[in-house]
Amino acid sequence: MPPRTLKLLASTARSIQTEVLVIGGGSTGSGVARDAAMRGFSTVLVERRDLADGTTGRFHGLLHSGGRYAVKDPSAAIECINENRILRKIAPDCIEDTGGFFVATPWDDPAFGDRFLAGCRSTGVPVQEVSVDKALRREPRLHPGIKRAFSVPDAAIDPWKLVWSNVRSAQEHRARVLTYHRVLSLDVAGGKVVGAVLRDERSGEEISVHAEVVVNAAGAWAGQIAAFAGCEVPVLPGKGVMIAMNHRLVQTVLNRCKMPGDGDIIVPIRTTCVIGTTDVHITDPDQTEITKNEVDFMLDEGEKLVPGFRQARALHAWAGVRPLFQETHAKDIDTRDVTRSHALLDHEKRDGVGGFVTITGGKTTTYRLMAEVAVDTVCEQLGVQRPCRTAKEPLPGSERRATYQLGARLGAREPLPQDEEIICECELVTRSHLEAAIARRETDSIDDIRRLLRVGMGPCQGGFCIYRATALLHGDRHLDYATTNRALLEFLQERWKGLHPILFGDQLRQTRLDDWIFQGLLDVQHLPK
Amino acid sequence: MTYDVIVVGAGLAGLTAALRLAEHDRRVLVIAKGVGATHLAPSAIDVLGYAEDKRVESPQSALAGFVGSHPGHPYAYVSAESIAEALDWMSKSVPELGYQGRLDENWLLPTAVGVPKPSALVPETMVAGDLRRGGRFVFVGLSGLKDFHASYLADNLAHAELPARVSTRFVELDPPHGRSADPGSVGFARRFDDQQFRDWIVQALAGRLEADETVGFPAVLGLEKAGEVWRDLEHRLEHRVFEVPLLPPSAPGMRLYGALTAALRRAGARIVIGDSVSAGGSEDGRVAAVSAQGASRPVMYRASSFVLATGGFASGGLVLDSHGKVRETVFGLPVAGMPEAGKPLFSSRYLDAQPLSHAGLAVDAHLRPVDKDGQVVHENVYAAGAILAGAVPWREHSGNGISLSTGYAAAAAILKQAAAVSSTAAGD
Repeated sequence: MPPRTLKLLASTARSIQTEVLVIGGGSTGSGVARDAAMRGFSTVLVERRDLADGTTGRFHGLLHSGGRYAVKDPSAAIECINENRILRKIAPDCIEDTGGFFVATPWDDPAFGDRFLAGCRSTGVPVQEVSVDKALRREPRLHPGIKRAFSVPDAAIDPWKLVWSNVRSAQEHRARVLTYHRVLSLDVAGGKVVGAVLRDERSGEEISVHAEVVVNAAGAWAGQIAAFAGCEVPVLPGKGVMIAMNHRLVQTVLNRCKMPGDGDIIVPIRTTCVIGTTDVHITDPDQTEITKNEVDFMLDEGEKLVPGFRQARALHAWAGVRPLFQETHAKDIDTRDVTRSHALLDHEKRDGVGGFVTITGGKTTTYRLMAEVAVDTVCEQLGVQRPCRTAKEPLPGSERRATYQLGARLGAREPLPQDEEIICECELVTRSHLEAAIARRETDSIDDIRRLLRVGMGPCQGGFCIYRATALLHGDRHLDYATTNRALLEFLQERWKGLHPILFGDQLRQTRLDDWIFQGLLDVQHLPK
Repeated sequence: MTYDVIVVGAGLAGLTAALRLAEHDRRVLVIAKGVGATHLAPSAIDVLGYAEDKRVESPQSALAGFVGSHPGHPYAYVSAESIAEALDWMSKSVPELGYQGRLDENWLLPTAVGVPKPSALVPETMVAGDLRRGGRFVFVGLSGLKDFHASYLADNLAHAELPARVSTRFVELDPPHGRSADPGSVGFARRFDDQQFRDWIVQALAGRLEADETVGFPAVLGLEKAGEVWRDLEHRLEHRVFEVPLLPPSAPGMRLYGALTAALRRAGARIVIGDSVSAGGSEDGRVAAVSAQGASRPVMYRASSFVLATGGFASGGLVLDSHGKVRETVFGLPVAGMPEAGKPLFSSRYLDAQPLSHAGLAVDAHLRPVDKDGQVVHENVYAAGAILAGAVPWREHSGNGISLSTGYAAAAAILKQAAAVSSTAAGD
C-alpha cells in the first residue's frame, strides 16, 4: 500500500488512544505538545482551524523584553526577560533582533522614566537610557519632541514560524497533530476527564480520543472547553486591534514610556511595521469586528510616535483576542496561579475533576514557560517525574542559532539563477515554494498556504498572486472547479475583512486595481458554483 | 506655448478626446503622470455587461432602462446614438486592431478563469472566443507563463451558464525557455512576435488539435505585430484562434495604447508623459493654465479648454485621506457621490455593493464638472472617463465604454462650444 493511503487510513481511524491530548493549536498548545512529546508522552494536538489561526497569528509580533511590565507587573516582567533570553537561544530563526526603545513623547510624563528605569533594574530587564539625539539618529522618523529614550532587548517574533517549529518538533517526537478538528465534547467518567469527541471539520467524521490527561490550551476559548467538563473557567476575551503599515517606518520596536495603554507600541516585522493595540472586552471571542473609531485611535496614537503616520500606507488590520483570566472560583486557594501573567488550573485540585489541566492567560513571549508548567502538572497527575528540556533544545530551523535577518528570502534567492516563475512578487514566493507548501499542507485553503508562505500579505494583498495560487491549487490537488472557486472567494472575503477598515490613500488605490482584476477582468462573482 | 485643448490623463478617455479634437485640427496637448489604464485592461470595449446583476445581451436595448434606474450615471450624459457612433469611430481610428462589434449585441468571451464576459467591441484577435453559439474550445497553456492556467479555465468554462453547448479541454506546451525563466506576459508577447517561436508553437500543436476546435491562447500573441501573429497562427494551424485577456500588464492594452498614440501623433498632437499636473491659475471662471512638474522645474501650459481624464481612485485622479475626505487631485473640484458623513464607505462583504464606489465628479450636459448646487465650476473644464461619478465599472463591465463615449462626447462638447463662439463672433 502506498504510504499516502496508509496515512489517510490512520488519520480517519474512529478512535485514538493517547496519553496527553492538547486542545488548541496556538503558541501555548503547540508548546505544550512539543514539551509533552519531548518528555516521552504519546501526544495528540487538536485545533479547530489551522495552526496559529487564533490569537497567536493575530498579535503584533512583539517579543517582550519585559520593559512593558517593569512598573505595572514586575513578576510578568521577570518571566518575559527570562523567556526572551531562552527564545533567543532556542528559536532564533523566528526572531528578528530589532531591539526596542521606550520613549517619552510630548504626551508622556518624562518623570515616568525614572520609575521605568527602577522597575527594569529590579526585574532584571537590561535597560540603558540613551540620549534623545542618539535615539533620533537611529530612528529618524521618531517624534522629534521626545524627552527621553531607553533601550531594551525587545525584538520581533514571527508567530507562524514559532508555532510551526514547535509542531514540527512535536511531530519529530511522534506527536500527532489534527488541524481542522473541533472538540465537540469531553468525556468525563468517575470524576475524571478520559477523552474527547472530535469532529473532522472537512469530512464531518467524528473521532473519539481516549486520553489520560487533557490539557486545555484553547486561550480565549478555554472557558468554552472547560465547560465541557463542568468546570467554570472565567476567561474574558479582550479584543486588540492592530494595523500593519506597508513600510518599516521604524527599525526598532517603539514603546511609549508610560503605564501600558492602547496604541502605544510599533513593531517592525518583516517588510511592515505593526501598531497595536486596544483592549476591549467582548463576549464572543469569534466576533472581532474592527470599528472606524478603533482605526482612527490607532492612527492618532501612531502620529504621537511617528509624525506623518496617517500619511503612510496602511496595509491590513486585524483583531486578536487576549485570554484574560480572572479567578472568581470559590476554591481559588487551591489554584496554582503561578503568576498574574498566566493561569494554570489543575482541575483535580480546583474542581475535583481529574485528568484535566487548563493553561491560559499569558502571552506568546512566555508560551514556553506556560507549556512547561502545564506539562509539569501533567507529570504530577500521572505520577511520573520527567524533566522539561524545551529551554535547551533549539527548535527545528533554529539549529544554526542565527536570528532571522530582514531580506533573508532575497538573500537565499539572489545567488541562484532564476529558473522558475515568482508567484508572489511581494513576498518572493516561487512556484516550487508554493507547490511544495500545497503538497505539504494537504489543504484546499489559500489562507492556510498564506500562513505558511506569506503569499497575499504584501502590498498588493493578493491582487496578482491569488489567481496564480488558486489555479495551482486546482491543478496540483486535482480539485474540482466548485471547490477551487470556493477557496478563491473565501480567501478574497477573508482578505477583505482586514482591508475595508483601513482603506484610504495608496491602499485604496491598490484595492481598486485588485477589484478591477478580480471583478472586472476575471469576473469572479460569476464563477460557477 | 498655448494650445486649443489640454487633455490631462492618457487613458482611453483622454486619448479618445485628444484624437477626436486633433482630427478636427485643434492644437492638442496630452499630459499625464503615466500611461493610463489601457496597460491594465484588455482592449475590448465593454459598454454594459451587467445591469441589475443580469447579463446584458444588447447594450443598445438595455441602456435606456439602465440609465433610468441609475440617475447620475455617466451614460445619462451620452445618448445611445453617440455611444454607437463612438464605437464606430474607434473601429475606424485604429484599423490595425480590427475591432468588431456593435452596440446592439454583446459578444461573450471567456475570462482567464473561464467566466463568460459580455463585451460590445472586441479586437479581431479575440473574436473567435465568442461563446454564444457554443462549440468546441481548446485552451493552450504555456509553461513558464504564470498568469494563464488553461486547465482551471477549461474546467470552469465547461460549467458556465451559456446559451449553447460548449465543450472545453486544454493542452499544455513546454516552449523552449528564452533568456528569462519568468518573462511574464509581455515577455511572451515579444517572443510571439518572433517567427521562429511561432514555428515551434505550430509544430508542438501538430496533431494535437481536433477538427472544428477553436483554439484559445493567452493574450500574448505579439506586441508589435499582433495582427500578423494572429493571422499567421490561424493560417498555419488551420483552426480559428483567439486570445484570452490576462492579469496586467496587458499586451492587447499596450497595442491599443500604441495604436491610439500613433494616430494622435499623426494628427499632430503632442504627448507628454511623466509629469504631475496641477491647476495653474484661473480667471473669470475659466482655467487659464495648468502647471506640470516633471523631473525639473514646473512648466506652465496654457489652453482655451481642458479635459480632465485622470481616472478615479485607481489612477490617482481621486484620493481619499485617512480622515475619509476625498480630493480631486488636479483642480480640487468638488466630489459628488460620497456616502453621507458618518456612514460607512465600505461594506464588510467583499462582493457587496461598496458605498464609496459611486464617488466622482458630477457634470452638466456638456460634461463640465458642477458643484453641489449644480453650478458649473469652470466654464472651460470638461471631465471624461473613470473620474465621473455614479458608475461601478468593474461590476457593470462598462469601464472602457464609459471612457470611450465620454471622451468622445467631451471632444464633441468642446467642438460645439467653439462653433457657437465663432458663429456668435461672426454674427457680431
